Amino acid sequence: MLIVLPCKKAIFLLSLLLYLGIVPACYSVRVMNKDAVPEPDPMNTSPDFYRGKLTHVLDTVIGLKLLDGDFHLIVKPCSSRGFYSFEYKVDFGGVMLSAITFGKKRKVKIKYVCIKETD
Amino acid sequence: MATTTKHEIGKWDTFHNNGPFETRVMYKTHLEGKGNMPNWLDRYNDAAKEIQRLLQEALDKKEGFRGYGSGWSMSHIAHQKHNMHFNAFMNLKKAISFDEMHTSTNYKHENLFFFQSGNVIKEISNFLFDHGKSLKATGASNGQSIAGCISTGVHGSALNVGAVQDYVIGINLLIGPGINDNVYLERDTKHALNNAFAEKINARVIRNDAMFNAALVGLGAFGFVHGVLLEAEDRFLLKRYVKRVDKNTALQLAANMDFENADFHIPGETAANGKPNRPFHYKIFINPYVEDTEYVIELIFKKPYQVNYPDPIPIIKKAIYRDLIVLFTSIAERCKRSIPKIIKLLHKSILPPVDIELTGTLAETFWDAPYQGPAFACAVGIDAANSPEALQLLIQLARNEGPVPGIYAMRFVKKSEATLAFTRFPITCMLEIDGLIWNAKNNKMISLTGFCKRTIEVLIANQIPFTLHWGKNADWSFPGLVQHMYGNDATIWKKQRSKLLTKETAALFSNGFLDDTGLSEYFD
Repeated sequence: MLIVLPCKKAIFLLSLLLYLGIVPACYSVRVMNKDAVPEPDPMNTSPDFYRGKLTHVLDTVIGLKLLDGDFHLIVKPCSSRGFYSFEYKVDFGGVMLSAITFGKKRKVKIKYVCIKETD
Repeated sequence: MATTTKHEIGKWDTFHNNGPFETRVMYKTHLEGKGNMPNWLDRYNDAAKEIQRLLQEALDKKEGFRGYGSGWSMSHIAHQKHNMHFNAFMNLKKAISFDEMHTSTNYKHENLFFFQSGNVIKEISNFLFDHGKSLKATGASNGQSIAGCISTGVHGSALNVGAVQDYVIGINLLIGPGINDNVYLERDTKHALNNAFAEKINARVIRNDAMFNAALVGLGAFGFVHGVLLEAEDRFLLKRYVKRVDKNTALQLAANMDFENADFHIPGETAANGKPNRPFHYKIFINPYVEDTEYVIELIFKKPYQVNYPDPIPIIKKAIYRDLIVLFTSIAERCKRSIPKIIKLLHKSILPPVDIELTGTLAETFWDAPYQGPAFACAVGIDAANSPEALQLLIQLARNEGPVPGIYAMRFVKKSEATLAFTRFPITCMLEIDGLIWNAKNNKMISLTGFCKRTIEVLIANQIPFTLHWGKNADWSFPGLVQHMYGNDATIWKKQRSKLLTKETAALFSNGFLDDTGLSEYFD
């Protein structure tokens, strides 16, 4: 059955659907190690949490086969020190990409800071 | 070998955006890897050699050289227009062993630890915790380097302890590129380490109270601080309360510090005789733009360490009565950082609801403070006895000649032996105002420089002796400022510096801040 809506109503409904789709789909989660000291970077002058910290960014698309189970993305290691913080970001583009490829393509956006080397 | 990278940066800024300042070069020195140089001592001495190489280069060019740690100071004290050295990667740590102790020392070797200058408070606390120990006091947070802390006088509000420099008992200074320019300095009246230790780090020993006290709050001007010996103590816990109390009671306690006979007490924090306990820490928060009948106070009591206590970090993370700038930005966020809206809010708003009680170690209680955006902070030190009067004067200043987008707090610190410590009164009240940097022209307000200048003028006009926090905003070029604050101690400091350094190396370790304050003066 085809439902024909007046133009304004259709735009409103479309906007609502997009809003409901986008807002919950865009989020970021930052996990922090409470006892750790971040690896410093005096050249990082970003006006946020990452100011003064050596920040690594990984922004890529991974491809999965249909029957792949766990997937391990190997990032540039913090040697044996571990992570000070780890931020995972999901945006609308990533959700859409995953949806239209039935999960075969996944956008991965990660920001992380290593623990400062200690002696 | 330790490796240094050179960056022609052009401009440098503080962590809190108080610059930018014209700067030619920044150096970063990384220690040799443990795999190649497993011995702690070898890596420490190797780093010293590398720093001395950089000092030679700067001297050859007749330029200045200054190490810095986290860049948290809001004044230009850390800045050097020619060469700045980022110390944070130089973070070796060492527990002192019995055979490194001086034979006539009264210190216990298990309480002594040696830290390279780039260690920040948090990593020092972690290292000490692993040895069952704790720092005695810190600032309101944990990101400052140890060398930066002592060079600028970082303090908390520990009534009976003092500032960070007050538990430092030995300093390793690199005062030039020569073989005799590696110095281990400690007090002659309080020996700590033996000559054999100094020999191991290739340092000559100077035991001299006057020189040690001068170099302790050395403003980066006594040479490159390479290592610091500090006295820790056994782990302890702190129980923190934030309360609203009658304004007069809060100020009476500020003036007399007589907690034991106060008419205010916290249930459970009383002695066997029923009298209130003396707190470890006392702090008052004040919004200068409203006539509150109550002030918010933070009281912290020291407790023996025990293993089982609830994790305080989730509470600390949400607490807003911590670092003053954390409190202020939490207010400012309500107005999306709009200066006119913030000012309007301050005029009608009382301070936010108080935090809930918590118990934690010193390191947990004064935990991470995230970047809060461009911020200012001014802090004057006055005798606690004069603190209610000084507060009234500075409240009137903020109301009549302001407003400025900030709020006041008072912290209280025991007297320091350091010659240029701003904590120079029996108990010094650090009366501080923190807030967001504003554009005076756009907002038709007094400028930060103007406000800082008026603060000095008001205190002088009312004959209240005062000091200023070296790492905070002030009118550092105010004529005769340092002489007014420190009198003969300023001269003693300059003379001790002139004794330790040559004219050339004194120039090497000078900067604009020393020139502005007149402290770069050299006595032949």
